[in-house]
Amino acid sequence: MTEPQAVRTDTPVLPQPGLTQPSVDGKYVYCIIRLDKPKDFGSVGIGGGQRVYTVHFRDLAAIVSDTPLVIYDPTREHVLAHEFVNETVMREFTVIPMSFGTVFRSEDDVTELLRSTYQAFSDVLDKMQDKIEFGLKVLWEREKVIANLERENDEIRRLKDEISRNTASSTYFARMQLGRLVEAALEGVQSRYVADIHEALKPVAVASRSNKVIGDRMIVNAAFLVDRTQEHAFDERVKEVSRRYEDLLTFKYTGPWPPYNFVNIKLKLEKAN
Amino acid sequence: MGLITKLLFFPVTGPVAGIRWTLGKVQRVVEDELVDDTPIKQELMELQMLVELGDIDDEEYLQRESVLMQRLRDVREWRERLGMATAGGPVRVARESTKDE
Repeated sequence: MTEPQAVRTDTPVLPQPGLTQPSVDGKYVYCIIRLDKPKDFGSVGIGGGQRVYTVHFRDLAAIVSDTPLVIYDPTREHVLAHEFVNETVMREFTVIPMSFGTVFRSEDDVTELLRSTYQAFSDVLDKMQDKIEFGLKVLWEREKVIANLERENDEIRRLKDEISRNTASSTYFARMQLGRLVEAALEGVQSRYVADIHEALKPVAVASRSNKVIGDRMIVNAAFLVDRTQEHAFDERVKEVSRRYEDLLTFKYTGPWPPYNFVNIKLKLEKAN
Repeated sequence: MGLITKLLFFPVTGPVAGIRWTLGKVQRVVEDELVDDTPIKQELMELQMLVELGDIDDEEYLQRESVLMQRLRDVREWRERLGMATAGGPVRVARESTKDE
């Protein structure tokens, strides 16, 4: 269920043109946790297995690894490396994920981040305590859904029969009518599916968020915030609802993720060149 | 004087001003496209979806990904050239104006 699988990058990251001389003093920040003593998370960092460790301010810690001062392209390799670290940390801690590619110039700058945003980080850590995120994308097989409609909807079936029997000019209007009917029915079916899926999962989630769908086959692109104690129940519900629509819909279920969709701290950051 | 000048030179200034305005607009549209990475990110997500669904294989994914990455870099370069904010790269906490340093 957990995907994507982590793949580590072994290729050196080339500095982007327009940047100053790369040095390895930079710190790539993955996430913020509550921890007051140093901890090593192993050599799993971005840019070829850098050591992942903590930078502290009071009871907060930033999870970082050393990096040259570069811009990281959001390639799958890089994104997975970022994600793998967060997954590792998440096994033991509640995390506030940083957005991909956040690089600070020095350890002092990271400490400054923790100091200046201390209150906001602390509040969100309290709110997110023991909560994880799951992603759910649902795609439909349009042709199958239409076939299903033709079986269930008398009006559509009648029109279809009429069209297949007639070759005369009346079929033109029948076809137009059929097209409109199918479109309207599809819309209705789609919103029924979406509502049904949300209804099934809402009782076992703390919160949910709908994102923009990707591509033309997707009807649901949602994130759910789930309490760790409800993880199993949520899992079961997803399986249940996906069985219900086995032939018509494809469920892409991912997680647990850090609560990317439910944490919104706007950091006041500026370029440091 | 403005009106008289305009009337006098209307046959000339009119069309010229018009053309300039159009060019300015075209340039703006072109610039907007050059500095906007939203459609590229959208394409990246769609590409991700395609490989997850098995519609394309890894090789094709990587090849198309590298094209998108180049486009992202181009956008970044244009944004820098035009003095606009860019994502990524080293950052620091913005200094507050009240703080002495």
